[in-house]
Amino acid sequence: MRVKNKKVTSIKEFLLFGFPSFFIWFSVVIIPFVYGLFITFTDWNGLSQDINFIGIENYKNILTDSAFLGAFWKTVVYALFTVILSNLIGFILALVVTSGIKGQNLFRTGFFTPNIIGGIILGYIWNFIFSFGLTKLGEFTGISWMQTSWLTNPVRALMALIIVSAWQMSGYLMVIYIAGLTAVPADLMEAARVDGATVFQTVMQIKIPMIRGTTAICVFLAISRCFMSFDTNLSLTAGGPYKSTELIAYKIYQTAFTSMDFGVGQAQAIILFVIVSVISLLQVYFTRRGRVDA
Amino acid sequence: MRKRTFSLLMAGVLGVSTLAGCGSVASTTTQSSDSTTAAKTTTEEKAAETTNAETSSEPVTISFYTTETGKDDMYQDLISDFESKNPGITVEYIAAGDDQLQQWMALYASNEGPTVALMDPINIWENQDRMRPLTGEAMLDNIEEASLSTMTFNGTVYAVPMSAAGIGLLYNKAVCDAAVGGDFDPSTIKTRSDLKDLFDKIEATGVAATCLTGVNWSLGAHYLCQTYGAAIGDTKARVDYVNSIIGGETKEIDSEVFNGFMDTFDMLAQYNYNKNDPLVGDVNLDAMALAEGKCGTWFMGDWAWTYMAELVGEGDEFGLMPVPHSDDAGDVTNQQLPTSYAKGYCIDASQNTEEQQLAGLKFIEYISSDSYSHEVQAKRLGQALPFKNCQATIDSPLGKSTASYISAGKTADFYGTPSLCPSDIWYECGAYMCEYLSGACDRTKLATQIDEYWSKQDKREY
Repeated sequence: MRVKNKKVTSIKEFLLFGFPSFFIWFSVVIIPFVYGLFITFTDWNGLSQDINFIGIENYKNILTDSAFLGAFWKTVVYALFTVILSNLIGFILALVVTSGIKGQNLFRTGFFTPNIIGGIILGYIWNFIFSFGLTKLGEFTGISWMQTSWLTNPVRALMALIIVSAWQMSGYLMVIYIAGLTAVPADLMEAARVDGATVFQTVMQIKIPMIRGTTAICVFLAISRCFMSFDTNLSLTAGGPYKSTELIAYKIYQTAFTSMDFGVGQAQAIILFVIVSVISLLQVYFTRRGRVDA
Repeated sequence: MRKRTFSLLMAGVLGVSTLAGCGSVASTTTQSSDSTTAAKTTTEEKAAETTNAETSSEPVTISFYTTETGKDDMYQDLISDFESKNPGITVEYIAAGDDQLQQWMALYASNEGPTVALMDPINIWENQDRMRPLTGEAMLDNIEEASLSTMTFNGTVYAVPMSAAGIGLLYNKAVCDAAVGGDFDPSTIKTRSDLKDLFDKIEATGVAATCLTGVNWSLGAHYLCQTYGAAIGDTKARVDYVNSIIGGETKEIDSEVFNGFMDTFDMLAQYNYNKNDPLVGDVNLDAMALAEGKCGTWFMGDWAWTYMAELVGEGDEFGLMPVPHSDDAGDVTNQQLPTSYAKGYCIDASQNTEEQQLAGLKFIEYISSDSYSHEVQAKRLGQALPFKNCQATIDSPLGKSTASYISAGKTADFYGTPSLCPSDIWYECGAYMCEYLSGACDRTKLATQIDEYWSKQDKREY
């Protein structure tokens, strides 16, 4: 009787606390995912009532589609530079705002602000800067390479995308690095100072090794965000000039909603899902290893 | 024990939900697999049943989705007037954002497909299984016959055209007058050489001869699509030509029409106001350049009046002329203005009740036949309206220019058939055109890329 009561209580507890969140998670994550997976095996255009099952044809086409593979490699290049730049800037900013300088809280807020503006707005602001602000400056100073928009040249447009993304992300990463740096034991820093270590040596020999776990989180977080980057890509370059800055998420959007190839677009999204999942799993693995080592 | 109970419960919920999910998907699929014929039969039956039906006196709410951006106040004005003249019908207004298809698809995905939608003919053609056939509706008698071809698929009318959009070279008359030393007459430009002569004269006055807006939609959907236009021949010849590229039998680089238009394009690029940074592509700045006389001509369309109206001075004159693609003065297509019925009002039959569809018909009938509606549209759209009883006068000199070509019979249907150019040609081939304009590729590569694009398309119909 007592056991039975316990069971009833457990079920009640689950229904009260666990089930609502489970139901929401299942409704908004699992069902759409399964439905999305199903669409990848069809030729659906996203609207038509005519859906035909075509097996793995969409996946075959993607793997031989030079435009998709091109977008993938562009994303790799974009991610490589953005991750390095944003982590470097984020870490340096974190070092500066944890060094005890005056107004460090104000600086923390200021550097974090780009992250809360939102990619779309940020993209439009920088679009204006690259297209009109810098060109006016170029006309004024007479510097020829500044007289044309950065966004009309494939290499400079990709650089612009990297700069804006790094600028936006570095403030976010700075906050994580701050958390890591403030967790470095004070006695260790004190001992280093007593032993005569310079600021550079303290950073290289103590702080960096001690925040290995934090670094792993920041690096992998930046990689996954780069692979899913869409809003800045849309508002800053819109894939241009002539599709040269079309990153993988933007390419998926174009395939699904401009070309109305929903099945192909969904299959591309599944491939992106696999890539980001692998990155996330690596993050978990390296974060754990970092913690143990630390 | 407790853990096991939880596990069993979780597994149960998971199983039930999965089955429910699959059930939903499966039923959708089953419904969809044989839906083309079924949907067509149903909508045709419905249309036949209700051709002369009276609308219900019960209050009905319909939705109107428009992809004509920047005209929100116009449509809200029309909706207010329509509602006051049709008590019992409420129209919910939905305006498209930056991406017209994405929002349209999202509305359908949430089972809220708009009753009336203003879409591009290609989008309506691609999704005609959802649309209500309009053939036989009395309101079509009031629509210019020539404008219905773009909205007619396999003999069935699926939409009512919005307005006629003329595409070509906009000119600033004062600049051109100064260049030719008198009254500029656009009909004197019969060949590419004539245009070059005009450009040289304009440049001699210290003004840039022309302007190209280096954006994919202008270069891809408008400039390039001219090469599949009337210069090829009638609709059948145009579809056959495109199908021969799709089939690989013809290459763009061998096409006389393609090369003719690209020769003119090279000339436009040479005299381009944006030559230093051709892809900067800002339609507002280019409109300002033409309005202020910084350039003499601009490749665009009569819709550009939306950007120019606020900038032009009192008495300034502007007009539109076709882009010549050859040096043959006897080629009539050099003097025909490509005119596009680029958008049409269609009615959804897949997610709206019969009452809603009938109310939707009333709404389209109001837009196409009401005198107040004509006045508002003529003023705000600034384009020729293809409605026979329309008495409204157009304020826009560009719209007037298109109307004069129409009345003189000097226009050519831009598309010919709704399915001629795929819905993403502006994005895909527009990018190739931008690449070409920037000088990053030559014509052979451009033609090859366009051939590759076409090779991935299904054969077109007419």
